[in-house]
Amino acid sequence: MRTVLFVLTIFLVALVPICAGAAPSQQETTPSTSTTSASSKKPVIVLDPAHGGADPGARGESLLEKDVVLQMARTVRAELERQGYRVVMTRNEDSNLSYDDRAATANAYRDSIFITLHVSSTGQPGTARAYYEPMEAASSPTPGAATPNVTSPAPSAPALMAWDEAQQAHSDASRRLADAIQAHLAQLFPGSAGAGAPAAVRGLRSVAAPAAAIEIASVAVSKPESLTALAAPLATALVRGITAFRAVDPNGAK
Amino acid sequence: MSRNLKLALVVLAVAVLIGVISFRKLHRRMARLGETQTSETRARQEVLAPPITTPTDTTVKATIFWAAAPDQLAPVEVELPLSADPVQRSRQLVHALITGPSTPGQRTMPADAVLLGFYILPDGTAVADFSDALASETPSGIMSEQLAVNSLARTLENNVAVLRRLKILIHGQEVDTLAGNVDLTGFFDLHPPAQPAGAGAAATPPSAPGASATPPAPKATTSSVAPSSPAGSSGKASR
Repeated sequence: MRTVLFVLTIFLVALVPICAGAAPSQQETTPSTSTTSASSKKPVIVLDPAHGGADPGARGESLLEKDVVLQMARTVRAELERQGYRVVMTRNEDSNLSYDDRAATANAYRDSIFITLHVSSTGQPGTARAYYEPMEAASSPTPGAATPNVTSPAPSAPALMAWDEAQQAHSDASRRLADAIQAHLAQLFPGSAGAGAPAAVRGLRSVAAPAAAIEIASVAVSKPESLTALAAPLATALVRGITAFRAVDPNGAK
Repeated sequence: MSRNLKLALVVLAVAVLIGVISFRKLHRRMARLGETQTSETRARQEVLAPPITTPTDTTVKATIFWAAAPDQLAPVEVELPLSADPVQRSRQLVHALITGPSTPGQRTMPADAVLLGFYILPDGTAVADFSDALASETPSGIMSEQLAVNSLARTLENNVAVLRRLKILIHGQEVDTLAGNVDLTGFFDLHPPAQPAGAGAAATPPSAPGASATPPAPKATTSSVAPSSPAGSSGKASR
């Protein structure tokens, strides 16, 4: 009997670390997921602090874009979660993700909105701009271009989507998203433009969801606090902009 | 008025006078320093990329798009000797775009950026190959990078009618982004303004003899599978 008990004890002791190893770590993982009591109808918000790791992004005297955007993303995430959104961050540490890694995080969800956060090198400090990638449909191929092979799906069959063209189907929704966010950025960031702007942002191209890049000006500020203080109004503007976008187009994130 | 007060007023007046004189001197010195830097930049550019002259050069009014604000371009009419050959004409325009800004605020592309090669394919695709300085010295940011691309695209499309789209290479290679944000893997669509037939060299058809040079088969041309993505206000980019 003692032998059986001994064997059982050893077995249980051995089982504990195995079980612990099998359980997913709740610490900083990439992507880090945070679920709240979100309504299941609300889209997943994928927040992407741009750059990271060996890629610092814009550099100021005492600021690096990669650090500022990570800090801002955490503030934005907290505010979005307070509003009942489920938020996923592409990175939660100083890691260097590829553009495809970031897009893959968003593309893993059926119903998501992708927001990538940036800080510029130039521009009037304290202003902000929302950008979208206005990819067009393949109806008018450019002169000399090879025949499009990914953008004219047959009506009856679900078409394959080229990874590099994933944003194309969501371009119109992305423009509306950027405009909705920019309208609220303009209220909270004096001097900002009133509408979103088109730009060939590399990080948006492969995202199969409404997507916008938000760029705050700039790392050239003399006091770092003046830039980090913009995280709260940025969070407010994003929550209001996303809510307004959803109100007009509740299916826009699909 | 007491004697001390008078004395204090006199001292104050003298101090203000000295301040005004010093300020004017300082202002002049700063202006001279700015001019020196501009001329140094131009001298460096002339060594790196000397002005291009061709037998068919004719002085015309060219429209160059420089920055009017950190996020805005403005067309500026400049009299330039431009070639009848679209390739040489494009090189001259890019040279003017880089070396021509009269103030630092107008600059959209780094002063040290050099156009290493420029080719035009028969379909109107322009391939502009720049030195590393374009990528390494353009300030990182969506706004600044898009401004640089737009200024190049709009300057070319307004002055070289045969161009239909633009591909930007860095040191002969396709790169992901200009300085970390704006996508350079695609083509930027160009939309030349309508011009009357026979309106000069810029309207020379792309198939005209000598009008184009063929680059060493840019990989991006064959990998282009589909349409458009953006180049910002100047138009779209396609892949």
